[in-house]
Amino acid sequence: MQRVLSFEQTPPLNVPLRFFLSAPLFALAASLVLLWHGDSALTSRWNPSVLAMTHLLTLGFLGLCMIGAVLQILPVIAGVEVPKPRTTASWVHGLLSLGAVFLASGFLAEQRWLFAAALLLLGAAFLVFLGACRVGLKGVESENSTLKAVRLALLALAATVVLGLALGSTFAGPLALPVLMLTDLHAAWGLAGWLGLLVVAVAFQVVPMFQVTEIYPRAIARWLALAIFVVLGIVSIAMAVSPQTRQLAESASALAALLYAVFGIITWRLIWKRKRPKSEPTTFFWYTGLASLVAASLLFALAYAYPALRASPAYPLFLGVLFVIGFGYSVVNGMLYKIVPFLVWYHLQDRMFDAGLKAPNVRQVISEDASRWQFIAHALALALLLAALIWPQHLARAAALCFFISSFWLWINLLGAAKVYRTCLAKAGAPS
Amino acid sequence: MEEQIDIDVCGLEPPEPLERVLEALSTLKPGQCLRMLIDREPRPLYGILERNHFAYEPHLRDDYLYEIHIRHKP
Repeated sequence: MQRVLSFEQTPPLNVPLRFFLSAPLFALAASLVLLWHGDSALTSRWNPSVLAMTHLLTLGFLGLCMIGAVLQILPVIAGVEVPKPRTTASWVHGLLSLGAVFLASGFLAEQRWLFAAALLLLGAAFLVFLGACRVGLKGVESENSTLKAVRLALLALAATVVLGLALGSTFAGPLALPVLMLTDLHAAWGLAGWLGLLVVAVAFQVVPMFQVTEIYPRAIARWLALAIFVVLGIVSIAMAVSPQTRQLAESASALAALLYAVFGIITWRLIWKRKRPKSEPTTFFWYTGLASLVAASLLFALAYAYPALRASPAYPLFLGVLFVIGFGYSVVNGMLYKIVPFLVWYHLQDRMFDAGLKAPNVRQVISEDASRWQFIAHALALALLLAALIWPQHLARAAALCFFISSFWLWINLLGAAKVYRTCLAKAGAPS
Repeated sequence: MEEQIDIDVCGLEPPEPLERVLEALSTLKPGQCLRMLIDREPRPLYGILERNHFAYEPHLRDDYLYEIHIRHKP
């Protein structure tokens, strides 16, 4: 596998940056929900507070970061120009942010009109985003493994959105649907599909590039994302067909979990075995994310073998915290510390070199100290959140407070990067 | 005979490869050729080279490394 990353067609800085800068606000909102409701918020996966927090994190924090990343990487890895990048970014960003707020409020206030508004806003946001990606990707050959996996991630997102809209319409109106099955499928496509596959796709590029490791084994780069996608397809069909094929659905789900465990272990090994190991905060975020991914996969496979485990109300919450915060939040948080300084540096050096000036070093854009301390806060928040599932009365609010501090710190660090950009641009005498 | 300056930026974390080559370019004299070895195609560099009157020839080697020859435009 060849490395392919070109920054020639980088979109304007504000296209990805608006997503990255506003994403932490949704994590802050999620931590406030937990702080407010305390242990009563952690009783089951169907608790309205859990549903609100889940969607603030998945649609708000992760969704915004992932969409910003896709708009950034499509031009860079594939020369794909999304139509009107600035306008598309503004609309998707506005509709998705507002939609996530309405949906979370809908769960908390249990008001139909809030769900109806959320459905319209989120439906429109994803229609614009997926439509723009479809137009940009039309006729483009998937010559590299990242682009192939990004396409599959986008298909998984489309499935998640359709299932989510169907579920939302049961809250907004009197529609009768098999809610349990649709919820499981919605979560499977959203987490093991869209989130997992996009991380896999991006990891193929950024792990060798920013962690300076060997490239992924050819077979993994070529087949892993497709295998996961096909297995998710089998799970969905088996679940939808009849109760008789339930066993097949469960076996296929366990297989998907094992495929993610393989990805986690291989990526861990690549980072661990690199020639010049230099651990910095992003490396620790990767290790935390990969350990959580492997733990979530093993927990899932274990529950397949021991159905009694699945009956516990804490089981889906453990799985959710491990996958959404332990894996998704950690790797996204870590990657933000590479990608935001790199983009700021790139856009600055391009303009400052032309003006005969030297751009600041990437480590001056966000300092390693700042990101290291935020990592410690994040790791502590994750540990407390997991512990709060065992001792909710004692730890739910402490976990919420720690998660608030960590997310606020991330936000401050990212705002600092944007400030460096504006200050340097002013020095170079260029319009921002 | 053209003087050749070699710079190997393989295995360095971005943006160090680009920083090093920009550093080397700032002292490159007419008649000299900068030969850069890198493990991915440095597309970000091309726009900068073009705007600053440098000519460049990229070659993909059999070992998947890229060798870029950079000179001042005549």
